[in-house]
Amino acid sequence: MSQSFAVGRAAPQPAAAQAAAGELDLRRKLQLALAVLWLLDGILQYQPSMFTKAFPQMLGQGAHGNPAVVAAPITWSAGFIGHHLAVTNGLFATIQVALGLGIAWRPTVRIALAASVAWAGAVWWLGEGLGGVLAGTASPVGGAPGAVILYAVLAVLLWPADRDGPFVAARAAGRGPALAAWLAVWGSMAVFALLPASRAPQALSGMISDMASGEPNWLAWLDTRLAAALAHQGLLASAALAAVFTIVAAGVLLPARLGRAVLALAVVVAAALWLAQGLGGIFTGAGTDPNSAPLLALLALSFWPASTTAAQDA
Amino acid sequence: MGGPAWLSATFAGVTLTVALYCAGRLAVARLRRRPTELDTDAAHITMGVAMAGMLVPGLRVLPAGLWEAVFVAGAAWFGGRTLRARRAAASSAWRCPHPAPHIVECAAMLYMFLALPAAAGLRAPVGAMSASAAGSRFSFLPLLLALFLLGYVVRQGDRITAQASAAPGASPGRTHHALAPRCAALCKIAMGLTMGYMLILML
Repeated sequence: MSQSFAVGRAAPQPAAAQAAAGELDLRRKLQLALAVLWLLDGILQYQPSMFTKAFPQMLGQGAHGNPAVVAAPITWSAGFIGHHLAVTNGLFATIQVALGLGIAWRPTVRIALAASVAWAGAVWWLGEGLGGVLAGTASPVGGAPGAVILYAVLAVLLWPADRDGPFVAARAAGRGPALAAWLAVWGSMAVFALLPASRAPQALSGMISDMASGEPNWLAWLDTRLAAALAHQGLLASAALAAVFTIVAAGVLLPARLGRAVLALAVVVAAALWLAQGLGGIFTGAGTDPNSAPLLALLALSFWPASTTAAQDA
Repeated sequence: MGGPAWLSATFAGVTLTVALYCAGRLAVARLRRRPTELDTDAAHITMGVAMAGMLVPGLRVLPAGLWEAVFVAGAAWFGGRTLRARRAAASSAWRCPHPAPHIVECAAMLYMFLALPAAAGLRAPVGAMSASAAGSRFSFLPLLLALFLLGYVVRQGDRITAQASAAPGASPGRTHHALAPRCAALCKIAMGLTMGYMLILML
């Protein structure tokens, strides 16, 4: 008999006892994975190319196509960073490393998660131009709705609160808000996949072949082949992507056994997306983060239904 | 393409501070008969000096070949310790109880020394390696090593609280209070972060 997401209950973890013993429950493991991604972000921000004018220029490009009220602060901040490059970039990198270490150290986990939400919100606007959502350029292959906003979503869903819930993400915010977040993320990706930025005949192919530039040979080979296969197939590919994202979005509403299959699909989709994203460009020396795919996989794991055994133990 | 000199100097300062502190730990542990992980501290001394030399060429004290031999020996030592730990052999308070991550650290050091001359020449700092190392067939290797080390860093950060609440010397075979276990964990964090940074530069 399958256990439904709606009725299953995860065993509430005795967090204080676990902390004293240094043990890790699933939520803590996911928090530490999030901390690793923040550390990786911080270290990528320390790369030499981030201390060149290319970095503020890249930030400034986020203003293109956005409404003036969104674009003006982006342009201003890019100019400010360009004038104080070493100090601001060094500070940004250090903040991200501090967020990672703060999440890893149990006494500061709440402060660090709260700070990461604020930081991610600011970077989503000023660094990613709201992921191109308002500019009409958002594409899941490009990382829409924006890698950094997924850090904020995960920080909320992995908040160390001890409600009952059928999966980790429900323990922080409750089942309803957690499901709403899941539907918003994957549902928005389905919508973005159907925008002209993705469905134009050469859109996805061009996006992926652009990612291949500067990558190691094996990854460039993979992305070049994928781009060639998708050439002139923009509409078909974007429709298929939208269908898969819709299935994943609706998957958390299914009974647990089917839900697990859909969550496994979400992880596989995230892995495929990561390859299409050129692993976020981290091999090029110009990648500021590993892009959205690892965070999508982490998000899927935070919705993994609690095992029947754990529920019975509760 | 090279990183800012001040950043390399800062990281070199961190590794040298850790090396100096670990040397102090070895001396204090001997004088006060307070257990410390002798092998871990010794590894941090060698890694700290070696990494400082890679970050700031003026700080190089030994040729790369000698360092490679040192880290092969280090990996072999920690490999042997891992095998002993798997056989559930009695652990000493003076040896590292979890040696596996140190094998990875030694492997990372070895990788960096082997990649350094090929990528940028012996006199270039580690930041200069990034452009040419990208074409390597093994470019995924520094990423894997860096991810492992960052995972090790967050695990150490997570365990600091447990170390604070655990009674020192309570584990079997540990009859004396361990010497500053939280400071030892901070050294592991600092070394892991710096090594992660250097590996990311090599992507």
